[in-house]
Order: sequence, then structure tokens, then C-alpha cells
Amino acid sequence: MVLDGIINGIIMAGIVALPVLGIAVIYGMTGIINFAVGGIGVFSAFLTWYLLPYNMPLAIVAGLVVGFGLGYAIQAALLTPLSAKRGGDLNLFFLITNNIGLIFVGLTRVIFPRPIIGIPLPRLGTINILNVQTSGLKFLALFIAIGALLLLRTVERYTRVGKSWRATSQNLRLARVVGINTSRAFNVASGLGCMLAAFGAIIWGSLYNLTLTSGFDLTFLGYIIAVVGGIGNILGGMLAALIVGMVLSFSAYIVSGSWQSVILYGIAIITLILAPRGILGSERSV
Amino acid sequence: MKKWPVQEVLTLVAIFLFAFLFIKGGGYHKWFTGYVLLYLIQGYVAWFIFSKCGQPFYGYAVTMAIGAFSSIVTAVMFGWPLWAGILLGGLFSALVASTLFVATSRARGFYVGMVSFLLVILFPSLIEALRDITGGRSGLSFRGLKGLIGLDGLLWLVLGFVIVVAGILFWLMRTKVGRIFTIIAENDDLAKAVGINTFKYKLLGYAIGGFISGLGGGLYVNYIGSISSVDIGVLTTIYITFIPIVGGSKVPFGPVIGTLFIRLIPEALADIERYLSIIFGAAFVFVMLGMRGGIGDNVVNYIGRLIDRIRMRRAPETKGG
Repeated sequence: MVLDGIINGIIMAGIVALPVLGIAVIYGMTGIINFAVGGIGVFSAFLTWYLLPYNMPLAIVAGLVVGFGLGYAIQAALLTPLSAKRGGDLNLFFLITNNIGLIFVGLTRVIFPRPIIGIPLPRLGTINILNVQTSGLKFLALFIAIGALLLLRTVERYTRVGKSWRATSQNLRLARVVGINTSRAFNVASGLGCMLAAFGAIIWGSLYNLTLTSGFDLTFLGYIIAVVGGIGNILGGMLAALIVGMVLSFSAYIVSGSWQSVILYGIAIITLILAPRGILGSERSV
Repeated sequence: MKKWPVQEVLTLVAIFLFAFLFIKGGGYHKWFTGYVLLYLIQGYVAWFIFSKCGQPFYGYAVTMAIGAFSSIVTAVMFGWPLWAGILLGGLFSALVASTLFVATSRARGFYVGMVSFLLVILFPSLIEALRDITGGRSGLSFRGLKGLIGLDGLLWLVLGFVIVVAGILFWLMRTKVGRIFTIIAENDDLAKAVGINTFKYKLLGYAIGGFISGLGGGLYVNYIGSISSVDIGVLTTIYITFIPIVGGSKVPFGPVIGTLFIRLIPEALADIERYLSIIFGAAFVFVMLGMRGGIGDNVVNYIGRLIDRIRMRRAPETKGG
């Protein structure tokens, strides 16, 4: 049971890590906690589902591109100008982005023919690890999450774009003075975050189901994990995703589904109360 | 000289007159008026905590649900008198809101709001987990006060409660305590610097808000007749939070406009219900971006500017004449 729980926990961590990365990237860069991330991700996943019968790789790419484009456009048209005008009032952005999420729930309902979907991606066979069997797709989700983390870290550390990101998140004014286009850095970070959320939603939709309000579920789950890890801290988020994955996996053996949620949200609340900056600390101060 | 509370009195009169007319009209409008009034109670709580005390609290669905469940569980499961259940709900909600504030008092604004918001996400799961007592997703139902005093009696009770609550909050904001709330809302650090015990006053604000919200929840379940985990959710709390933001955070009639906005629009757009979340979301974003302070504040400002303009035009004429 212990081994089974650990392996399932690690895989669950991989599945939930993608929207967490999305939230972490956006907050780490822009200082805005974007609660529309899940709504945009689920909208993009619905698009992938809609296009899937035509061409599977193209449908996935289309979902990711639309996710990126929406995140970029909303940041460029609304959030960056608003941040410049009214400063980083997190409560304001919380309310605004929640409503943008609500708009995407409505758009998903109006544009796509079904309110509940399952994305029929190939299962990729069954993998046996230490006598624990699980689908290849779940393993792929885990590897994508790890790959995304490593890619983000590499880009952040070793590329010119990454250096401009770090400069922008550390000292916005100085970054502007040395000629970094901070607005573009914000927009790209937001687009990237929404693209990661779209990927997470596609994987989620292929393993479970996606409903119109799944975007809120993904956002809140992502947010809880991000809070536990330290919002904006990518490594902390991944560690917290692992903890949450383990909690979800092991609590399934002991308590019912409702208690699992209570335990999960309870941990997030206690973390916020005892360590407001999360277990590894936030790279930004809230 | 103390300014007369003209807007406050007019607000109370308007609430009474509109509700009276719709209640007398009978039928669905009568029932719906009660529903709007129940949300208006929560709207005034949000107006008080969020706008007047400046506290980023999002747990309205929880404090309301605690009142509702306390009322119905004590009546159905333990056979308590209805008034005792409602009162217990109010006290319990006040305790939860205050505890939440005390627990998060080390943190700064946004974290306090987030803890209350996480509580809203957690609460339906807790209700489902405790399904033996709460009925879970199926919920609990009873006749409640409606069975005792009838729909008309309950409607008048709800209307009376709204007017008393609004009246007390208006009065409170004109007292010394209310002025301290305003200072804290405007500038927390300044309030501390001038020697105000901000912790004590914020705690008081949470306790008052939680108590009223819990009592309102108790009345809500007596009016609707049932409650389940499905009735309490993130959207409920978002809508309640938006009541003062949309209606107007400074003017006393802001919650009235806000409540009408969030409750009448779904009724008016019932035929195009598919588009409701798009329209709602877009309207909220528009109000937050384009009408800072909400509809009520902007209308009052506009009327004020109009009056000033008329006065300025008349002034030279009077001088010359």
C-alpha cells in the first residue's frame, strides 16, 4: 500500500504541477496572481477536444497556442496597463481575474457543443513499476511537468530572455532603466503561464473529465499548491505539488473524497496562517 | 455642526417603499422580493467589512452558510426552537469570522482575504463530509419560520431585519467607533501611529459582520426552506463581494444598487441564460475599471458636479443682476 501510495502520489503531483507552474511563472514575474489561468486553460483544452477528430498533434498545438495568445493578450490589454495605473493591489487583481475566468466559463459554454468532455488521447499502454501498474499517459504527464520545470529553470538561468525576466521580477524600475522591455516580459510570462495551464487542462481532461467550471477547480488547486510552496517560487511549487500529490494519494486509502478536499484545503489554510510565505518562501513579498 | 443623515434616511425609506410595493403586488414578485432582501443583508455586511472597515474578507458564503446550517440542523436534528437556532448561527458565524481574523492577524491584507476565500472553497466539502448531520449534497429541508408565521409574516420579518441592520450600520458609521473604522480603512499605519488599537477595532468589525451575516443566513434558510452543500459556493461569495463594489462603496444605498444588479440581471436575462456569465463577468470588469467606487458613488459624484456647474453658471448672473 505504501509503495502504491508513493507512486500514485508522484504521478498525481505531476498532473497538478502544470497549472501550478503557470501560476508560479505569472506571479513570479508580474506580481499578479492570475485567477483566470484555469479558465483560459480549460477553454484551450475544449478547443483541443473540438479539433481532435481532424488532427491530434495540430489540435494540441492549437490549444497551447490559443492558451498562450489569450494569456499574452489579456496581460497586454488589461493587466499590465492596470498594474501601471493602480499599482499591485492584489485584491483588485484577484477580483478582476476571477471575473475574466467567469467570462471564459461563459465563452466555453457558448462556443463548444458540450459542457462536459473527456479528451480521448492515446493511453500509451500500461507501465509496471515495482508491481504498481499505471497508464503511460500519467507517466507522460509527470515527465512533461518535470521537463517544463527544467526548461523554465534553464531558460531563466542561461538565456538572455531569462535574465531579463529575473531582472524584471527583482527590480522593475532598474530593469526599465537598463532598457528591458518589461511590458513584453510580463506579457510573455502571462502567455507562458496560461499555456502551461492549457497543457495541464488537456492532460487532466484526458485522464478525468473537464466541465465548464473545471477552470476554477484547476486554478484553486494550483493556487493552494502555489501557496503551500511559496507563491512565485517554482521549486517550492513543485515540492508542494509532491506533498499535495502524496496527501491526495494516501488520504484516498483512509478517508472519503469529501474529507480529502477538507484535508487538502485545511493544509493550505494552516500553511497560510503559520507560514504566509509558504514552505520555501515566496520570491516576492505579498 | 453635524450633517443630517439625508442619504441614510432616504435609503431606509426607499428600501421599505420598494419592498412594500412588491410585497403588496403578490405572486412571484413577492417571493422574489424576499430573496433580494436576504441578499441585501449580506450586501450590507460586505459593504461594512469590505468598504467601511477596509478588510479584505471573502468568506461571506461561509458566514451565511454557518447561520443557515446552525438554524436548520438545530431545528431538524435537535428540535431546538427556531429563534435559538438563528441566534446560535449568528454567534457561531461571529466566532468563525473573528477567529479567522485573529489567526491571520500576523499576515498582511491579501493573505487574510485568501484564507477566508480558501475557507469558502473548503466549506462545501466539509458539509458533504459531515453528511450525516448536514444532509450533504441532498441537504436538509424544513418548514421553519414560514410554517410558523406564514410567507407574509416572514417577509415582513426579513424586511424589518434589513432595515434594522442597515440602520444600525449607518448609525455605527457616524459614531466615534465608525470614524475609527474609516481611519483604519483609509490608512492602517496612520491609525496605529495615532494610537488606535487597530487589532481591537478590526476584530470588532469582523465580529459584527459575522454576527449579522449568520443571522441573515438563518433567515435565508427559513425563507428558502432548504440548504445543501451545492447552495454554498465560490460564486455566492464572489457575487456578495461584488454587491458594494458594483453598487457603491461610499454611499449608503450602494448595497441596494449592487444587490439589484446581481439578482435582477439573471432574472431579466433568463431567456439568454447561456450568455449570463459572459455578461456578468464583463459587467463586473467594466465597473471595476471604468466606474471606480461603483455605480452609486459615480452617480452621486455626477449629480454633485452637475449641481456645482449650475451654481457656477448662476453665480455671475446673481453678481451681475
